[in-house]
Amino acid sequence: MKELRRNMRLVGTLVVVLFVGLAAWFAMTVFTQGSIWASDVRNSRLRASNSLRGDITDRDGNLLATTAEDGTRQYLSNAAARRALSQTVGDIAGMSGTGIETFYSATLLDISSSLTDRLSELFKSARHVGSSVQITVDGRLQAYIASAFPQGYRGAVCVMNYKTGEILAMVSLPEYDPDDLAARAYDQVEDTAYLNRCLQGLYTPGSIFKIVTLASAVSNDAGVVDQTFTCSGEWNYDGGHIVCAGGAAHGALDLKAAFKRSCNVTFGKLAYQLGLDRLRATAERFGFNENFKFGDFVVYNSAFPKEVDSMNGLVWAGIGQGEVLVTPLHMAMIAGSVANGGTMMKPWLIKRVANSQGVTVTRGAAEPYRQVLSPSAASLIAGYMYETVKSGTATRAAIDGYSVCGKTGSAEVSDDKTVETNAWFTGFVYDEEHPYAIAVVIEGGGAGARMPSELAAKALGKAIEYVG
Amino acid sequence: MTPDKVEKMKKALMRSNTHLLLSAVTLFQAAAMLLIAFQKEAVNPQALILAAALPLVTWLVTALMGRVWPVDRAILILVMLLCSVGLITLSDIARSDVTPRTQAYYALAGVAAMFAGAAFIRRWRQWKKYTPLLMALCLIALLSPYLPKVGIYKYGARNWVGLPGGPSIQPSEFMKPVMILCLASGFSNRPRFARCLPTIGFAALCCGVLLSEKDLGAVLLYFLTTVLMYYAATSNAFITLSGLGMGAAAAVIAYRALPYVQARVAIWQNPWIDPQDSGFQLIQSLIAIGSGGLFGMGLGMGMPRDIPLYHSDFIFASITEEFGLIFAVGLLAVYVMIIMRGLIVAFNARTSFHSLAAFGLVIMLGLQTMLIVGGNTKLLPLSGVTLPLVCYGGSSLVSTFFSMGLLLGISSMNAEDEARDIETLELREDVP
Repeated sequence: MKELRRNMRLVGTLVVVLFVGLAAWFAMTVFTQGSIWASDVRNSRLRASNSLRGDITDRDGNLLATTAEDGTRQYLSNAAARRALSQTVGDIAGMSGTGIETFYSATLLDISSSLTDRLSELFKSARHVGSSVQITVDGRLQAYIASAFPQGYRGAVCVMNYKTGEILAMVSLPEYDPDDLAARAYDQVEDTAYLNRCLQGLYTPGSIFKIVTLASAVSNDAGVVDQTFTCSGEWNYDGGHIVCAGGAAHGALDLKAAFKRSCNVTFGKLAYQLGLDRLRATAERFGFNENFKFGDFVVYNSAFPKEVDSMNGLVWAGIGQGEVLVTPLHMAMIAGSVANGGTMMKPWLIKRVANSQGVTVTRGAAEPYRQVLSPSAASLIAGYMYETVKSGTATRAAIDGYSVCGKTGSAEVSDDKTVETNAWFTGFVYDEEHPYAIAVVIEGGGAGARMPSELAAKALGKAIEYVG
Repeated sequence: MTPDKVEKMKKALMRSNTHLLLSAVTLFQAAAMLLIAFQKEAVNPQALILAAALPLVTWLVTALMGRVWPVDRAILILVMLLCSVGLITLSDIARSDVTPRTQAYYALAGVAAMFAGAAFIRRWRQWKKYTPLLMALCLIALLSPYLPKVGIYKYGARNWVGLPGGPSIQPSEFMKPVMILCLASGFSNRPRFARCLPTIGFAALCCGVLLSEKDLGAVLLYFLTTVLMYYAATSNAFITLSGLGMGAAAAVIAYRALPYVQARVAIWQNPWIDPQDSGFQLIQSLIAIGSGGLFGMGLGMGMPRDIPLYHSDFIFASITEEFGLIFAVGLLAVYVMIIMRGLIVAFNARTSFHSLAAFGLVIMLGLQTMLIVGGNTKLLPLSGVTLPLVCYGGSSLVSTFFSMGLLLGISSMNAEDEARDIETLELREDVP
């Protein structure tokens, strides 16, 4: 009997501990994810809700969306600005699934309000007003970037603070007008305007991925910076060949020169020298193949090939072609991690949620995501990126008085070059006071990356001016 | 010490101070039911009756059972509380008044079954002799859904019997306490492995029959309860671990071989892949839970009917939506309290049979609750077991009440034994 009791105590304790664990897990997930579950478009309680939606404001408190006295939802009166913020703020019909209006609908409607709120409304017999959401985006900056975007092109610009992880702008073009949804006028727009390309656009990175290849090389072998490579403009290897952009032959050059002139041959060789496993390990450290769960929004997962069937796949992966895919937000995070001494910050969008009484319910905070690089490797890569803007392929991104670092790219999106390449720029302001990282992609923007570099310079300049 | 004093002491020992608990529970029952009765323009007469009946029955049952036998009143009151949470939720969310009314009748039958269970376990002395008979009964009952005409195939499992048009019952629910009694008897008195074999074989047969009926949740419950009871009875870690290993292997084989198991696991891993069809249930459950927030939408304010099976498999999600996260966690705490009180009953029992029986009943209750709560909240794949005492359904409710009756019966025997001990001790001290 004594032994029986001992065993029963053991098993009983186990069951009770499991039970407490279950309760704790349940409480934790509901507390952290409950409002996301409740914001699901399939939640009929949202449609049935009688509450008035709370306000959406930008980082400076400027109203982006508000509910008028008569219950109608009002967005910015300036049409261009309203459209620039369309996918970020969202719309009442839920056309842009990633917008705050949809993704935070349960919060904006506050369908399960607190007891005190309910009591006070009962006595005042007022209609329930939901919580207001303040986002980290700067409305003026986002409107400016959209206006500065080359006319007639599609693409995305993502600006973030690499020291805190705050997202300052998420421009995605084409955009739509949240006030003009009655006719569903944007349903027929090719590559839907409802899509937020910063979060949901999976693009081939092309040469901007050389940042990751470089990071892998310097992390695995410090001696690689002194290695001399030879570029004859093309490299024929077993199973394929690779050429440099514009047929340029760079001759003998070191890693720094190869990076700032974006030499494909050198980086193809570098990828081969590293091997798939090491290159993939670095890419995954940077967040490729990872199921991102940032909480404030949904971002698609970037991809790096898990295996390649030939040397060809490896060489092309090294210069960001083939099966490598990335979102503009993730690219800004990668550039930001280089600027931030190798620490990638968790991106966030929700600055503050306040209930109808104005009491803060939640407040966003800076949170490191991962140390992706050693500080020394990060500063080395930042130096290379600085050279690239100073005297390499990205000179147009320079801003007077600030050290801008960056990397350009032109990503092939078709096998036979029938489609114009996507033009990329990613980089950052290397400045304690203005820690802004950026990723710009212009679909079909062509080789040379002139347009994205110029746009990045304008956008970062305005970010310094507006955000401070 | 005079015999009068001894008698007084016995009484005091038997009656733990549960007045406060009883008052709180009856107050909750009355308040919640009144709220439901008056929340619409027209008064809901059924809820009004229940607002009076629930506290009254709870009080009566506690007083009556407590007078007849010195049972653990805390367990009794908490059991009544869980049952009334079920009735309140059903009165609140069900489409028609029939569902809560039926459940109320089931609950009355359950209370009767609880008395029967307590009376039965107190009288039953020759368990060894009757165990083979019980085992046979259990197996036949589990096989009965295969009988022509009365067997019913429902919700993807063949685990119901009933006459067409008449009431139907679920034998796998009713056999839970029977099975535990068989196991407790077979594993009592610290047997060697060889002597356990018939009992283990019986349990394996039960699991096999249930598996063939696709009643996966029941298989899991029966299996885990058997393994844990075996371990408690024999301390044989090797056999226990091998048993668990075999169970895990069987689970892997089942996963490979049975498409509906794969489907369940796939939905659990990511319900959003198929939000309109197979994942619909779980997504709606999560939406309801998330909508409830900390304090819930409020009784009658939510829309839990969006969840398929909102009143049975997903009643926990419905409760969380209506009452909120804090209440739901409190509900789990009530289960934990019953489990802990039940374990104390098992510790104090005088024979290994009673000890094991109490232990098995409590463990099964705990495992069952964890399985369904985990299933509702996407921690575990959904396995279609009931939330004990709360969820809609007669078989499960009556059977669980009967199990709790057995547990209470054992607790009353413990209290009497303890009182008797004190009596003998005191008498000895009286001898100069």
